[in-house]
Amino acid sequence: MTDVQLFVGLGLLLWLLGLHAVMTHRHTIHRLIAINVSGSGVFLVMVSLASRGEGVDPVMQALVVTGLVVAVCATAFALRLGSARQQSHDEAESPS
Amino acid sequence: MSWALLSLASPLLAALLALMIRHGADRIVLGATLISLIAAVLALASINGEQPVSLNLGGWEQPLAIRLELGHLSALLMILTGTLHLLVGLYNRVSDHGTSSRSDYWPLSALMHAVLLALWLSRDLFNWFVTLELLSLAAVAMVTLSGPKAYAAALHYLMLSLMASLFYLLGIALLYGQEGVLDINQLAQQLTDTPITRLSLLLMTLGLMMKAALWPLYLWLPDAHANAPTAVSALLSSLVVKGPVFILWMILWHLAPAPFAEQLGLVLALFGGVALLAGAWSAMTTPYLKTLVAYSTVAQLGYVLIALGLSLRWQALELATALWLFIIAHALAKVSAFLAAGEMQGTYGRKELTVVKGATLTMPVAMFAFAIAGGSLIGLPPSGGFLAKWILLQPMFTSPAHWPWAFTILAGTLASAAYVFRVVSLSFDQPDITPGSLTQNLPAQWLSLLPALLVWGLALLSHPLLLWLSRGAVV
Repeated sequence: MTDVQLFVGLGLLLWLLGLHAVMTHRHTIHRLIAINVSGSGVFLVMVSLASRGEGVDPVMQALVVTGLVVAVCATAFALRLGSARQQSHDEAESPS
Repeated sequence: MSWALLSLASPLLAALLALMIRHGADRIVLGATLISLIAAVLALASINGEQPVSLNLGGWEQPLAIRLELGHLSALLMILTGTLHLLVGLYNRVSDHGTSSRSDYWPLSALMHAVLLALWLSRDLFNWFVTLELLSLAAVAMVTLSGPKAYAAALHYLMLSLMASLFYLLGIALLYGQEGVLDINQLAQQLTDTPITRLSLLLMTLGLMMKAALWPLYLWLPDAHANAPTAVSALLSSLVVKGPVFILWMILWHLAPAPFAEQLGLVLALFGGVALLAGAWSAMTTPYLKTLVAYSTVAQLGYVLIALGLSLRWQALELATALWLFIIAHALAKVSAFLAAGEMQGTYGRKELTVVKGATLTMPVAMFAFAIAGGSLIGLPPSGGFLAKWILLQPMFTSPAHWPWAFTILAGTLASAAYVFRVVSLSFDQPDITPGSLTQNLPAQWLSLLPALLVWGLALLSHPLLLWLSRGAVV
């Protein structure tokens, strides 16, 4: 087994772990972490596939960088949305 | 091509401007939408009857370049997007139940418009990933505009959407790892039928089905669409779910190896048949008006799935024409249905289905809009819905082996008639309120009627439309 295959396999494993967790957990933070684990799995697959041929494939690395930016934005948005929902829950429960 | 670029740039600039100049954001965005729509019409005129035009961004050569392509189908979808954004934006401005002129609706809707145009023009797997993500983020942000009650639905939508993106991204990674290109034309030329190809196409299909709320992955849709502000629900149901369908059609038609396409096509078409009946059943049993309209989207996407699946299974290009006609007809009819339903819900002040009791007397224009939009959803002639269904049914009549599909579609038609008449029959009851006691907003109601009239007018336009679509479907 080559290094590339090993890391692609590990990436797929992470992706599956994240997928499993996102389906079985209900808590917002848990699910968000699961999505990020899953995302890291995909990025691991991508960076390891980048060195599948001669040298390193720069396109794949560019894709990973773009993917990371998208993932960070989406995670920040989800965190903000989750905390806003929590706040509105708390206000609804404690009548002021 | 330059008209298409103008059409794309104008809402994008408007989104940035509207963020900086909050006062008068509505006028900026509406103006830019109008410019974009006119440019999209000119773009269609510029390629009428000719081959599609390509542009490599930044002047890079293939395979490094990101390629945009303007064909008949893309141009038509650009016009559809512009028209609907303009109508919904105007509705949001004149309606008493719309968001204010300074709200975040304006920059977000302009961003969504620009992203949709970029999606129709892209021909690159990764560029589609970026547009999909932007589309989902804009859509989720717009759902939250209706306040804290929508946060839970929006969060659920965002989570599922992120997971769906990872399915799609993993599919791209595996495919790129095998082939080393992302452009759809180049992939179509060199792709071979390997287990990796099949796995990655399957992953991408699953991700896109989740994003497009195709049965059985639709569970996020009714909550998100019903809880959003009315104008946003209309955009989500009519346009946002169609973006992933476009990508799905492109990758499966161009990339799927024939034996795999036949198997997958059968599964998709079967899902479509179930969606028709399951969506209609939920629409028939829900107690809320907007939720009914949202479930109707799930059911109507069933036709889209059947057309997509069978065109792959039989390798029949004419079914692709039916697919795009469905998408255009459904988009117009659903905007009408959502705007009318939202206007009634806002005016009567309750969200139960029973508010429409007596609506033919108290709010005749909005109710009429809902009813004729419903007519196109059912597929009554000569509406756009009928036209699409007719083209879909034609290859099925020719061979007895295909008759079960025709029966499925007819059953779906009856089911959609059932939930439309559920609303319409209630509206003919005696109203509980006196007609004069409501403060009505007639311009908003007429705006909700306009797309429904357009979808009935599609029949008049059918000849050039079919010609454009049959050309567009090839590329």
